[in-house]
Formats: sequence, structure tokens, C-alpha cells
Amino acid sequence: MPPPDPVPAETDVAVIGGGVVGLFAALFLQRAGRSVAVLERAAIWSDASGANAGTIAVQNKRHEVVPLTRLAIRLWPTLKAEYGIDTAYSRPGGLRVAASETGVARLRRDAEKQAGAGLEIEWLEGNRLRDCAPWLGPSVRAATLCPEDGQASPLVTGIALSAALRQRGVALCTHAGVHQIARNGAQFVLDTPRGPLRAGAILIAAGVWSADVAALLGARLPLAVDVNMLSATEPAPALLDRVVTHADGVLSLKQYGNGTCLIGGGWQGQGDVSTGTRALDYENLLHNMRAAVSVVPGLAQVQLLRSWAGFEAVAPDSLPLFGCLPGLGEAYIVAGARGAYSQGPALGAEVARLMLAGETELDLTAFAPGRFAA
Amino acid sequence: MIGTNHSAATDGADADIAIVGAGPAGLACAAEAAALGLSSVLLDDNPRPGGQYLRHPAFATAPEDPLGADARRLASLLAVTALPQVSYRPGATVWDLPAPGVLAVAEGERSGRVRAHAIVLATGAYDRPAPFPGWTLPGVISAGAAQNLLKGMRILPGRRVVVAGNGPLLMLVAANLLACGVEVVAIAEAAPVSPRLWRALPLLLSQSDLLMQAARWRYAFWRAGVPFLQSWTIAHATGADRVDGAVLCPLNPDGTRDGARARSFACDSIIVGYGLLASVELLRLAKAALHWEPQRGGFVPVRDAAFRTTVPGVWAVGDGAGIGGARLAEAEGRIAAHAIATTRCHRGDQRRLSDLCARWGRIDQFRRGLEQLFAAPLPPHGPVGDETVICRCEEVTAGMLAAARDGGAESAVQVKAATRLGMGRCQGRNCLPSLSAMVAREQDASPGEVAWPMPRPPARMIPIGALLVESLPPPNLPADPHLPRKRAG
Repeated sequence: MPPPDPVPAETDVAVIGGGVVGLFAALFLQRAGRSVAVLERAAIWSDASGANAGTIAVQNKRHEVVPLTRLAIRLWPTLKAEYGIDTAYSRPGGLRVAASETGVARLRRDAEKQAGAGLEIEWLEGNRLRDCAPWLGPSVRAATLCPEDGQASPLVTGIALSAALRQRGVALCTHAGVHQIARNGAQFVLDTPRGPLRAGAILIAAGVWSADVAALLGARLPLAVDVNMLSATEPAPALLDRVVTHADGVLSLKQYGNGTCLIGGGWQGQGDVSTGTRALDYENLLHNMRAAVSVVPGLAQVQLLRSWAGFEAVAPDSLPLFGCLPGLGEAYIVAGARGAYSQGPALGAEVARLMLAGETELDLTAFAPGRFAA
Repeated sequence: MIGTNHSAATDGADADIAIVGAGPAGLACAAEAAALGLSSVLLDDNPRPGGQYLRHPAFATAPEDPLGADARRLASLLAVTALPQVSYRPGATVWDLPAPGVLAVAEGERSGRVRAHAIVLATGAYDRPAPFPGWTLPGVISAGAAQNLLKGMRILPGRRVVVAGNGPLLMLVAANLLACGVEVVAIAEAAPVSPRLWRALPLLLSQSDLLMQAARWRYAFWRAGVPFLQSWTIAHATGADRVDGAVLCPLNPDGTRDGARARSFACDSIIVGYGLLASVELLRLAKAALHWEPQRGGFVPVRDAAFRTTVPGVWAVGDGAGIGGARLAEAEGRIAAHAIATTRCHRGDQRRLSDLCARWGRIDQFRRGLEQLFAAPLPPHGPVGDETVICRCEEVTAGMLAAARDGGAESAVQVKAATRLGMGRCQGRNCLPSLSAMVAREQDASPGEVAWPMPRPPARMIPIGALLVESLPPPNLPADPHLPRKRAG
């Protein structure tokens, strides 16, 4: 077993947080010739990036982030060929379903906005809906089909991405939570339990801990913490062949090649970021399972194998905090987008571009982290 | 003295005590609680009471049935399920402890939550996985499974059988097989039992009838000409599509196999039993403090003299709290009931309690005697071979585990993530102990120091359909699904 990577004395860029955003940013920064060290408070991929549902969907996102999510959907399938990173990505297309009158109204409204943002969306109801997805339960009144929705395996991706980074010489420093940041001219000096590090630039991509890290620089970020529950079933016979999301926001559902169904949707468990503890909420778990069975009745016969809860940092408007922290030199942040796992490669690529060249492919100025300053 | 009017559990509780497991410990706890006037809910995931020890067929057996000796004990303990103070619920899987004093239960149309003032976990034990080349061949059967076949269904696991492992259960299985007319080809016991007998004898004499029984077994082995190989272990199983033989070899003093002195035995079945592991899944979920006692079933709960765990209101008794056998389990179940009665309504019977504690002490002496007798190196006894499957659900081999370690997986938790070991239907019960032993050996540490992956509910797989029946208040749905959620609790 190789020893954990030591914290180097000096690096071009220190990425704080070993999750999906931080690691993809590290990948693109390294490719541009920068030396990169990832400082992770616990183990790589151990929080939201490892605990999320792996939904790579665009039609369940707010229309403001459709371009960013589509950029990610362009990147996900290239990772294997370009970087040797296996993600188990597939694009079976997604159904966003609605079961109530308000849900149908929301679905219609969102579909119009998303079509306006350039997304291909097909409206399905009645026989066309049943033909497309005969496995849907009778409670589903309408759905939109988006061929760009897909899924990846967070488990597979985390392992492959870490291995690719190690191979490229990126230091993945675990158990190296940053507890102090000093500025020395243009440089940052970061203190970790495993030694100090001098960096020319820093990127905060620390999920729910991002606000704590930014506070070390005196920046205040209004991040809320969700505790999302997820459940995995035993390997089951084929039950569904699309990624399912819900217009009422109470369900995400998919089935992997081995038969495992993953059931989520943002039902809240209980947790405390300061202690890192999180637990299921019994009633919400039952509600989550009922929502799943009402959409895919065949799930009632399947065995539940395990359920867990993971933290997610969410900005007040659920849109990413993306960009330079004002007045702090080369300090950047990416955090706070709901469902950011979908956008991970794009957020990483875009922030790398921003740090390297001062510009991005998409116009992301609306996501400036200073937007909540009163 | 003993109360007759049982305290109807009030304030929304279903009973004074909720007992998980209707084996000897759980049945005895329910019996004693009933005698003390306490009501109990007795939840068990088997269709019939008795647990593993009192497992019995659903059909009537002939009087000359060779396994019929337990019938009398069966009758008295199993009668507990009919007591008015005991609500016996078979086919009920307890899958989580979602709040203090609450159990989540999957039992078909009755699924939901059971609330009680005290929870007694009497969850029993299961066979310690012991991988060796060929252990996944059809015909290799665990000692517990062989007992299930024999005791529960009267099915013979084979005609010519090799028995390999460690501990008293192994002798019992071999004796049962012999009694049922099976040819036992050889017994490989990992411990050097005979030379230790004299030192352990003073302790063992405390249960002289059990000692006599063991002597009768040894006599039966001798009469049948069964080689009882001590300090021997199994090296591998042979056979293409199913077992056709076993290779046994002596153990070196350092716990490795002495391959040079291996012997082959033709057989059609191999019974493997390297001891039992306590079923501590619910205790892990309840965040009870556990400590490492390899001879008592791996991780077992920290308990006080009345078998309270470190979780308020949660007791743990019987093999599920540390392997000690059926007699010890029964005594523990009764003592816990007294402790609960005292805390709950100051209604204990001090004389009865001190009698029970004295009985427990004598049985525990015997248990310690057995522990001395059967102390042996834990499997695996040497390399298991890269091709050998460690995790059967996800088909992860020893070689794949080694590759994950070489690839940078630092801990058992990361090896699990890298290989999917432990993520299948058995939820890690049959592979995590092997992984933790392997990681411990590499780090030159005790398996007790290897952190296990976080336990995740359900403690046992449950059908999702079981989560649909309980009536619940309407959910608190977000007005806008995009905005941050309001959290429960």
C-alpha cells in the first residue's frame, strides 16, 4: 500500500476539497502545466461526491444553469477516452414526471423555460407516456423526456479520477483540512495538520465546509446545508430504462446495469456539519420510498439494501457560487449549486480556465460569489 | 411476590420491553419479564420460535429421532410465546432503531414502529466466514447451515463428510452427523484440545453434564473410527463442479499451515465452522460502544453486570452480545428482565436475581473453560490465493482486494468503495470480517483496530413494500424543489 501523499512545501494552486469540483479543477489545471495540491479534510471523495445519486441530468435544473450543465454533459462521455477516467456514464435519457396538478403546471412552465434555453424537451402524456415508459405507475399524469439526461456512478468515478490525478503527479493530501490561511504578498500560506503549504492561488471547493474555509479569509458566504437521503436496492430485474426525476422535487430514481436501483430526491435526513454526523429520518425515508413506488410500482417487490444521508451545500438561490472572492487576490470558490455533481466536470474546467486565463467559455458572471453581499 | 397483573404499558408504548430475537436469550427474557408482570413484544425474523439453538422442524418427528433430545427443553421455552403478557411476532425483521425506545419493523401488513420502555437485543450469531481455496464450491457448508439442515429440516448435508474448524459447535455438528448415519471422514480442529483438558477441567466441571456429553461425543468418534485431528485446519477443497475432497494439514505454532504434512480425504461435503460472530448490526446502528473479543464473536457490546449497553434503554443478551452458548444466553435474558423490572417499576425479586446471577457465574466458568480449551489462531491460516472469492455477493477475489490496496485504498472503508466488497445482499456479513483480518495482518494490528465502514440501515434487507403500510402524517414538501430544503428533526 502506498503511503498517503505528503503535503508539498509549495505549489502553484492549492485546491481545498477532494470532491467532484476540486478534483476536476485539479485535472484541468494540471493539464495546463500547473502544479496542484489537493487538500482534503477527510478522505478523497468521502462526502457529497461519494454520497450522491450520480444523476447527470439537465431538465431538473434551474434554467439559469442549463448551459453549464450541458457543457458538463458534453464532457462526461469524453473522460474515459481523453483521460482514462471510467465514470460508468450512460445517457438513457430522462423522464421528469409530475403527479399533481401543481406538478404538471410546474413541469409545463419549466419545460418552456428550458426549451427557451435550447434544450430538447418532449412533452408526454396519455398513451404516448405509457408507450414510452410502461413501467410508470398510474399516479404519473405527465412527463417530459430529455434525451440529454443520464447517469454516472459516483463510486466508479471517484476511484478512477483519484487514480488519474495521482498518475499525473497531483498531490492528493488526505486528512489535511486547512485551519488557517495567511496572505504573504501575492502568496497564500495554508496551515494543515500535516504541515504548511505555500500556494500562488487557491480554489475553495469544499462542499459544506466551503463557508468555513472562506471565513478563514474573512469572506462570508451564505451557504445552507441539506442532508439528502439516498437508498440503494438489491440487484433487481429490469424495472426502468430512464433516469427519473420529479417536478415536485421529491424523487430521483435510476437503475444501474447490475440491477441496483438508486432512490433519492432530496428527502431530508438529520445531520450536523460541525460534528460530521448524519442520520436517516425515519418518516422521510418512508415518504421517499412511497414516492418511488408511486412512480415505479414494481419497486414494492424489491429489497432495500442500504440507505444513507449525505451533506450538500446550497446557496440561497440554489445557483453556484462561482468565481474570484472579491478583494482577496488569487482566491477562487466553486460551491453551493444544487445537484452540482452533474456539473462537476464543467465547473472544474471553467474555474480552471478562469484561474489560468481570466475568462470562461460560458458567461458565468451571474454566479459571482459576491452577489449576496447586501 | 411475583406480580400477576402485568403493567399495561402506557404513554404510547406497545409494551414494557421489546425483545429482538426469539432464541434462548429472547425467550427466557420474555418468560422472566412475564413472571415479573411486565409485558413484552417478542420480534423474530424466523417463522417459528427457538432461534438457531432450538431450531426444530415444522413437522412432527418420530420418537426415535436422533436429534429429539432437546424436545423437552423446547416445550417449556417455546411455551413462552403463548403467554398473555408476551406478544410474539414471528416473521418480523427489525431493521433500525430510528429513535430512543423505537424499533423499525418489517413484517408484511403490520410493518411499522414498535415502541417500548426497554429494548433487549438477543440477535444471536452467525458463522465466521473462513475463506480458503475452494470454499465457494457446492458441497462446502457452514456449521450453522449444516445444523439448520439437520435440526430444521432433517436434511443430511452429505453422505461422506469432512468437518473442519474450531470450537465446541464443530464437535456437536460432527456428533449430530454421526447420529444421523452420515460417514464422518475426518474432523480437523484448529486447537490442541486434549493437552489442555486437565488445566481447563476445574472450570469445565461447573457444567458436568455438558462435559459428559462431550466425552460421549469423543467416544462416538473413536468408536466410528473418525480421526479427530487437533491443531489441524483445512488447506483447500478439491473438485471441479462440486466438492470431491478436502486437503487438511497441521497448523504451525505461528498459525500458518504446514503444507508439507497435508493429507487428502475423499468426501462429498465439507462442513466448515471456525466459530461464530455476534450479530451486532443493530448495536452498530444504535452506536453502542463495542469492543474486540475474537473468542467471543469479534466485536461485542460493552455491557454492565445487568447487560445494559452504553445506549440508554438498550440491553444486549445471549450470543449476539458475545458467544457463550444457549445456557448462558438463557441466564442473561432472565437477568436483563430483572434489571428492567427494577428500573421500570422497582419490582424485582432480589433472591431470584441473586440465584440467577450465581447460575450465570457457574455457566460463565464453563464458558471460560471452553475458551481456554479451544483458543486457536483465527483463519485464514496463510494465503488464500488470489483467485479465491472473498465477497460472494459482488464476486470480489483476494487478488482484487490486493490490487485495490496497491492502488492506494488506505483503509477497509476505501477497499470497500474500490471493489464493491460488502455492498451486496449479505451487507458485508460474510466478507467484511475477512477483509478486516487481511488489513489487520498487513498493518500488523489487531482486527479490532481496523475501522469498519459506517453501518447503514436496514440492518437486514427488507422489501420496500414493507415501508408503504404505516400511516404517517403528510410529508413536508418544499414549495420550490430547487431551493434549500427544510430539514427534519
